Amino acid sequence: MIEKMKKGKIAMTITIGIACFALVTVMMMQFKVVNETDITAIEDMQESELKTELANWKTRYEEIDAQYQETTQRIEEYKNDEASNNEASRLVQEELEQTNTLLGLTDVHGEGIVITLKSGSDAAAISADDLLIIVNALKFAGAEAISINDERIINTTDIVDILDGSFIKVNGQRILEPYVIKVIGNQSHLESSVTGNGGKVEELQTLGHTATIEKDNDITIGKYNGEIETKYIE
Amino acid sequence: MSNKKTISIILGIMCFALTLGICVQVRTIRSTNSTIGQNQEANELRDEILRYKERYDNRFKELEEAEQELEKQREEATQNNSELEEAQQKITAGNKITGITEVTGPGVTITLSDGKGIATSTLNPSQLIVHDLDVLSVVNELINAGAEAICINDQRWVSTTAISCRGNTIDINGERIGAPFIIKAIGLPEYLAGLERVGGYLEYMKRDGVGVTLEKSNSITIPKYSGVINFEYLQNVEE
Repeated sequence: MIEKMKKGKIAMTITIGIACFALVTVMMMQFKVVNETDITAIEDMQESELKTELANWKTRYEEIDAQYQETTQRIEEYKNDEASNNEASRLVQEELEQTNTLLGLTDVHGEGIVITLKSGSDAAAISADDLLIIVNALKFAGAEAISINDERIINTTDIVDILDGSFIKVNGQRILEPYVIKVIGNQSHLESSVTGNGGKVEELQTLGHTATIEKDNDITIGKYNGEIETKYIE
Repeated sequence: MSNKKTISIILGIMCFALTLGICVQVRTIRSTNSTIGQNQEANELRDEILRYKERYDNRFKELEEAEQELEKQREEATQNNSELEEAQQKITAGNKITGITEVTGPGVTITLSDGKGIATSTLNPSQLIVHDLDVLSVVNELINAGAEAICINDQRWVSTTAISCRGNTIDINGERIGAPFIIKAIGLPEYLAGLERVGGYLEYMKRDGVGVTLEKSNSITIPKYSGVINFEYLQNVEE
């Protein structure tokens, strides 16, 4: 009789143990799902946002894919033409030109806009930050090359106020008014990025500064004046 | 008697855990319903986005490998010609500057995080938040201090990089990024650390209640650009 009771208890304990284990496992899974649901940002997006995001990733994939195809093709060309010195020379020169274009070390031309800014006499002068914000907006609108008073904007260009704003330096070079910003890219995208509600150029006009925007179908932007030297990157 | 007590306690705990589990379950389903379940089309869009992200990630890895292979081939093809060798070195060096390759070197890491202070009548809550223009200003100052390569939350700063506001996040290189912003820069650490100077932008942000830290380091790695710089409107001037 006592034996039987003991057996019953053991069986019960084991049953409860298994049940507990199963429960804990299911709950762990549950918590994981809950966590993941929260992390993925795209879960919160609306349909229109999702469409934009999808278009964005499609473009990014296509760009990276095209670059990949180009790179593998180059590798093949190098492999095939190893014997011929002329071919190797052509390939290297071609690559070097591309690198220099990306660095801003070539004169370039194309369609775009020219923005001219002059400080109004009644307002605080146009500052380096104003120019920085305009350049940033233009880049966001797809600008492919920019210069301010013929100083080419490259990835290590700084735009700073000197002596409490008495003048502005771009690439370490002093620039004087009027500020002429040349931009190559899609004309309407570029223009709308600095005009309209919240556009920096329009804001400057409201403050009493003089600003004009002109479309030009063939703007020439000069190369970066000087050497791009690096000491610390490896 | 004591056995019965144990069993009761175990059963009690189980019931409690079960209830908790059910509560969590119900809540998840409710929130899921509002965003996912409702709309079949939105679900498909999400799947599609994830598929493209994955394809992008895979291609990106392949591209990285291909670029290394290309560099090797280029080195081999030019090693017997001093003129070409010089060109090849320029390409390799240029790729580091334009962001095509990953770079390492000494520098600083700056972290900007939204302030935790409580907005009072004198403190504007908007001042506690890191804005797109804050990040832009810090990048500009780093370049002024001689930074040779910069990234923001692993997004490489290239010639076409813009920083723009997108609700409570910012958009860099087409990617959405939220605070804290970790800005890494390679250059002479002592110069770059000069950003902490009195009257500088970092101090100004600190005064507003934004969390700002700056750390010098002997080895900072800045990843390659996650996209491709393509020119659609621009052409080189033929000489």
